[in-house]
Amino acid sequence: MTGRILFITENTLHGNASRFTTWFGGLIIGGVGGVLYGAVMGAFGLNGVQVLYSAAKVPLLLAATTALALPSFFVLNTLLGLRADFGRAVRAVVGTQAAVGVVLAALAPYTALWYLTSGDYHEALLFNGLMFLVASGSAQWVLRRRYRPLIAANRRHRLMLWAWVVVYVFVGTQMGWVLRPFVGSPDHPPTFVRPAAWGNAYVVVFDLVVNEFRRR
Amino acid sequence: MNVLRQLDRILRGDALDRGPTGRRLDFAVAPLVVLAVLLAASYGACMGAFAVLARDTPEWRQVLASAVKVPLLFVLTLVVTFPSLYVFSALLGSRLRLPDLLRVVTAGLAVLVTVLAAFGPIVAFFSVSTTNYPFILLLNVAVFAAAGGFGVTYLYRAVARTAADPRPDDESADADPEEDERDVRAARRERDRDTRRVFVVWVLVFGLVGAQSGWILRPFVGSPDLPFTWFRPKQGSFFEGVGTSVRGLFGGQSR
Repeated sequence: MTGRILFITENTLHGNASRFTTWFGGLIIGGVGGVLYGAVMGAFGLNGVQVLYSAAKVPLLLAATTALALPSFFVLNTLLGLRADFGRAVRAVVGTQAAVGVVLAALAPYTALWYLTSGDYHEALLFNGLMFLVASGSAQWVLRRRYRPLIAANRRHRLMLWAWVVVYVFVGTQMGWVLRPFVGSPDHPPTFVRPAAWGNAYVVVFDLVVNEFRRR
Repeated sequence: MNVLRQLDRILRGDALDRGPTGRRLDFAVAPLVVLAVLLAASYGACMGAFAVLARDTPEWRQVLASAVKVPLLFVLTLVVTFPSLYVFSALLGSRLRLPDLLRVVTAGLAVLVTVLAAFGPIVAFFSVSTTNYPFILLLNVAVFAAAGGFGVTYLYRAVARTAADPRPDDESADADPEEDERDVRAARRERDRDTRRVFVVWVLVFGLVGAQSGWILRPFVGSPDLPFTWFRPKQGSFFEGVGTSVRGLFGGQSR
């Protein structure tokens, strides 16, 4: 059993899970990885409820972002004449989510160590942001590897690859904002999503930058 | 189901090839128009979803209003611009007849509304998760611009292919035998070029009229600071509105 799990994990990370069972197994392992990282991420305030919430929310973040970005990906692929390869393209982009989950799980010990060494909430937020950046950045290797044969067959796939990354990041950023808190402020009771605090990630970042410049 | 297959053929570009009847864009217009209206309405509903959570009391009427107004926007713009397209196209000697023009334009609009509907879930997600009105306005303008880009590209391809097809009733085909064949070909090429130019101009006009029609039919999103209304009083223009949204967004107006 362990051998099978490792086999699927390695194939997911290598980006060469060609059989459906291996690819789907990779998704399950990636989902479990996301749950694991979420649990560690939510352990900042040592509150069991927040641990459960965050464990559920990390895979939800990846799955919901992918689900929202897929319809436009389908139509744009069709319009660019890439419909015949759409199955492989979907396996590439969805398989990449599995890789993100696996990488996040591998980074979970770092986050746990950080929580042990620093009790600062804002530093914890930044550290987790960095871990997500590392996980999603390194999963691009898997995406590129899976897309390489597609691009070799038709160069328009390169355009679709970039389109996917742009739409995914655009939606994912807002999804992360909507689903917060992931870390859980020790000053607030645990909650699945913050009530009446949805707002817009881009506008908040923009306001922060503008306010910073105005202060100087 | 058949109409979905037709739409799929259009999106794949297969409909631009000659069908079993020897014609390009060989599809029934009416069912495709119905499907396009439904797709446009679904995007409208996603647009109007902003009024559900951004207000203190959810305004469901805006969802209904936008679902009706987005298809209406395209119909109104088409009603205003299509006659001039046909007349100028014929004036410059285009070989595209009225049914051909109708099919070309329907296919282009079908592509446009399909792209809109495909981005609908993303727009709906942002609509229900953000309260910043200028952001949502600009997001919708960006999605319309992207969808318009795909629609126009398709339209241009369709015109280039369809206009170049010889016609069985083309009188230049049995032109004066004394006339040099090269002259006939050159004249046809020039005519096809003119047809494409007419379409480029028409697309620009369609965009401008569409933008202004959208302004007339506003609100589509519904400002959270204003009570619900089916239409707003006549003032300003689309471009002034976009400028105000950009200033609002960069002025740090967030709620």
